[in-house]
Amino acid sequence: MKWLISNKGFLCILFAVFGVLPTFANSYLLYVSNLALLFIILAIGLNLLIGYAGQLAFANAAMFGIGAYAAALLQVRLGVPYWVALPAGGVIASLIGTLMAWPALRLSGIYLALATLAFAQFTLWLFMHWEDLTFGATGFAVPRLSFAPLPVTPEQGIYFLSWIITIGLTLFAWNLVRSRVGRAFVAMRDNEVAAASLGINLLRYKVFAFALSGFYAGIAGGLHCGLLNYVAPESFDLFQMVIHKSMVIVGGVGSVVGSVIGAALLVATLELLREFKSLQEIAFGAILLIFILFMPLGLVSFLKRVLPGWEEEVHLPDARTAPAVEAADELRPVGERSP
Amino acid sequence: MRRTSLLATALMLAGGAIIAAPAHAQEVGVTDTTVRIGQLGALTGPGYLYGKIIMDGAEIIYQEVNKAGGIHGRKIETVRQDDRCDPATAIAAAKKLIFDDKVFMIHGGGCTNASVGAFPEIKAANIPWVIFASVGDSLTSPPSPHIFTTALSASIESVSQLEFALQKGAKRIAVISQRDAWGRSRYQPLMEAFKQKGITPVADEEIIGEANDATPQALRLQAAKADAVLMVIYPKAAAAFLRDAHKIGYKPIAIGQTALGDLPVLTKQVGVPEAMSNMFAISHVRYMPEDAEMAQWRKLFSEYFPRETMSLYHILGIASAKVVVEVLQRAGKDLTRESFRAQMAKLTNFDTGIYPGPITCTEQDHQCHKSAAWVALVDGKIKTVAATTVGR
Amino acid sequence: MLGYLITSGLALGALYALVAIGIVIVFKSTGAINLAQGELFMLGGFFAFMFHVQMGYPYIPSLLLAVVASFFIGALTYQFAFRPLMKAGLVSVLLASIAVSFLLKGVARNIWGGVGDYIPFPPMITASAINLNGFIVLPQQLVAFGASIALMLLIVAYFKFTRSGKWLQAIADNVKAATLVGIRVGALHRLAFALGAASAGAAAVLMAPLTLLYPDIGFNLFIKAFAAAVLGGLHSIAGAVIGGLIVGLVEALVAGYVGSKFQDVSAFVVIMLVLVFIPRGIMGGKAMRKV
Repeated sequence: MKWLISNKGFLCILFAVFGVLPTFANSYLLYVSNLALLFIILAIGLNLLIGYAGQLAFANAAMFGIGAYAAALLQVRLGVPYWVALPAGGVIASLIGTLMAWPALRLSGIYLALATLAFAQFTLWLFMHWEDLTFGATGFAVPRLSFAPLPVTPEQGIYFLSWIITIGLTLFAWNLVRSRVGRAFVAMRDNEVAAASLGINLLRYKVFAFALSGFYAGIAGGLHCGLLNYVAPESFDLFQMVIHKSMVIVGGVGSVVGSVIGAALLVATLELLREFKSLQEIAFGAILLIFILFMPLGLVSFLKRVLPGWEEEVHLPDARTAPAVEAADELRPVGERSP
Repeated sequence: MRRTSLLATALMLAGGAIIAAPAHAQEVGVTDTTVRIGQLGALTGPGYLYGKIIMDGAEIIYQEVNKAGGIHGRKIETVRQDDRCDPATAIAAAKKLIFDDKVFMIHGGGCTNASVGAFPEIKAANIPWVIFASVGDSLTSPPSPHIFTTALSASIESVSQLEFALQKGAKRIAVISQRDAWGRSRYQPLMEAFKQKGITPVADEEIIGEANDATPQALRLQAAKADAVLMVIYPKAAAAFLRDAHKIGYKPIAIGQTALGDLPVLTKQVGVPEAMSNMFAISHVRYMPEDAEMAQWRKLFSEYFPRETMSLYHILGIASAKVVVEVLQRAGKDLTRESFRAQMAKLTNFDTGIYPGPITCTEQDHQCHKSAAWVALVDGKIKTVAATTVGR
Repeated sequence: MLGYLITSGLALGALYALVAIGIVIVFKSTGAINLAQGELFMLGGFFAFMFHVQMGYPYIPSLLLAVVASFFIGALTYQFAFRPLMKAGLVSVLLASIAVSFLLKGVARNIWGGVGDYIPFPPMITASAINLNGFIVLPQQLVAFGASIALMLLIVAYFKFTRSGKWLQAIADNVKAATLVGIRVGALHRLAFALGAASAGAAAVLMAPLTLLYPDIGFNLFIKAFAAAVLGGLHSIAGAVIGGLIVGLVEALVAGYVGSKFQDVSAFVVIMLVLVFIPRGIMGGKAMRKV
């Protein structure tokens, strides 16, 4: 029984629920759950970058878009089948993510945030203006997927595909953060100089963190184009970025399970807030604020406190308990930064 | 009704569900005493003008109909779902309306890309959809059996703009456009219209819809010696452009579309009345909110929304809802989605008293609104100066 | 052509500078970036609209009331949203300020969203263009430009010559030392957020006749102003003004000479280049990261 309330048990139960959902869900619930799966991938990818590697990047929505555009354009322009286009989208987003590691070598904190924000705005501008390639602001339709000869409708097909990929990427991240690489990320986040003196190659790990995060976002983008059968710039704007950031922080910075919870919870919240009609923005702002104020370290740190079986890894940054090392700018109390 | 409390909404939905349950084989979303209409569009974010505000206008008509006893004894219930102007959210909203709220029909569609995203879902569900604002041609051409629009489609407006410039004797025609989804769905047909007439625009400038300054654009158009400028931009960018063109002493014939139709308001937005002297725009309505002819609507409006000001967006909602109500009326006591569709496709020369021309749909043509009224300011008063009706 | 591009670039830049000043005031004293700064601008404008147009108060008192109201909103948002997070880290404060921006936008949309699309606000002086020696300018742009310089000087003087200003400077330099000598850091942080909001309000009342008012005006302005503030080094009020003017000029010149489709993106390209090549901003200033 103890196993059930541990973080591993929770993950298993959650993904099992996602797995049986198509047997009873209507089209609306299935679609929203599918979105939730995509957002789980996005949140984990972003958390690897922000929470583990400590890079305050604001370009996740752009990476998501690059994955979606790449996967969709490969299909539409070159007739590449979806099975190839989807991973190719991930790889392309990953390569572009690598480019972003370059400014990250010189910048951190708020400056890196702005540089990546500018990059995201530039990407959005390209989606809208490189009309010969991207079809411009009106977007374009992508052919509906067929899962023949499997006995599933396209809706169920893309759902199960997303489900399998989400589980795979969650497991990968779970193992990664417990490996040498994960520890190197955390060391780099907590103190770059100390990490470097321990023999951690900052360049290599930063590039890897950006590439990995880009890959996650890119795969989510490819699934997004398979789910919507339509790609348009609006899906990748800064509102998306806000959603991704919120999922990571609400769930818990530096926790894979936290991102899973944060993503599922945020998608559910956004849908439940529909009842507030035109007051949704106010309700969303208020709920977000309440979460941050009462659980500044995320839901997982709360769960860790109340559930004894919850074995969270040590990766949660905590300003109060980890004063021994000098925290990186973005994780240090804002009022106390050295000039 | 507008700010129904959450509790009341919940009660209404629960009540609706109980009433909807009884056995007789009735159409989805229809009971003996109610018909449920889903309103799809942006309730939040910048797109709310083309969503929530238009819905507010429609709500006036629906409430008035209910006050008068409903349609064939059925009261109209509305359910709103937010598409946040985003395709993914629009699909969720459409699915919610179709599968959870189980509405009879959808009245809505603001942001074009959101509507294009939701389009396959709505089309596959064979649920009637009367579009009130999205202008993208692909939504209604080629026609899908259940999808109609009361909005002037993008291509109709764009072709009218070019024709109007030629009527005015313009020799060197230029374009200033914003290239978001709204702008591009107009810009593309405009460029096709240029090509068909064998004309090349002398300049093709771009600006963002929220621009605070348009001096560079005005200077470039002036340098290109354009004598007419077709404006495919939002009122804010238009205000900046007209102001800055005036500032540099550039006076082309400025030709707007429906987003710039409320010239008195645009004058205030420009802030420099002289800058409006050569400005023309398409109006998708016959009268402006402050015209004497609209007095009855203003009065009703102030009863429903005492703290707000009736705008063109509200009027659009009123006009579009009038069409919906008329078709529900004609579909008769045995209302089904099929009977609604059939009546909508037969609607001929229906005068809303608001759109400049009559509303006519056919089986082949679901773009039911085709008349573009050209307006200009004459002695500070808005006047209709020409009308172009585009056939297909 | 160049003359007009420069004047319009400066006018646009003054707008960005006015918003950037608020960002710098908050960052300088507290180390936090308030992403709701654009929404505070929006709210300040709507306050002025409410007092002057809707309630019919005279012009100047309305503007002053709007600035005062913004000041209190700033203090309020600090008290409820940011104060508990000042020790939790930059990411939390950033997200909290995003939450606040949603709240403010939602509130404004529900109060004023039904009044019109882009709501005009009457200009301070005559609207018509005036001819200055063959060069035509809009009086409101001159007023806005002059006022932003005046506001900048006022704020610089405040930081230099008043006690609370000096304290704000002190906590910016070393929060622990400031606490030790008995400075109430919490109250000063509140003051910084309130001043940041008041300056956004002042910017809004000056600019509203040119920018028009609508609930979503904030984001676009914020992002350009943020770029301007970083360009100016984030610590310097004068830097913010210069940064703002540069962003405005770049936009106008790029649109005029390179092509108008590049206008909106030019600021972002510049900011990417600046951050990669001169990460400390043009006003130099302090090292952004000491290890």
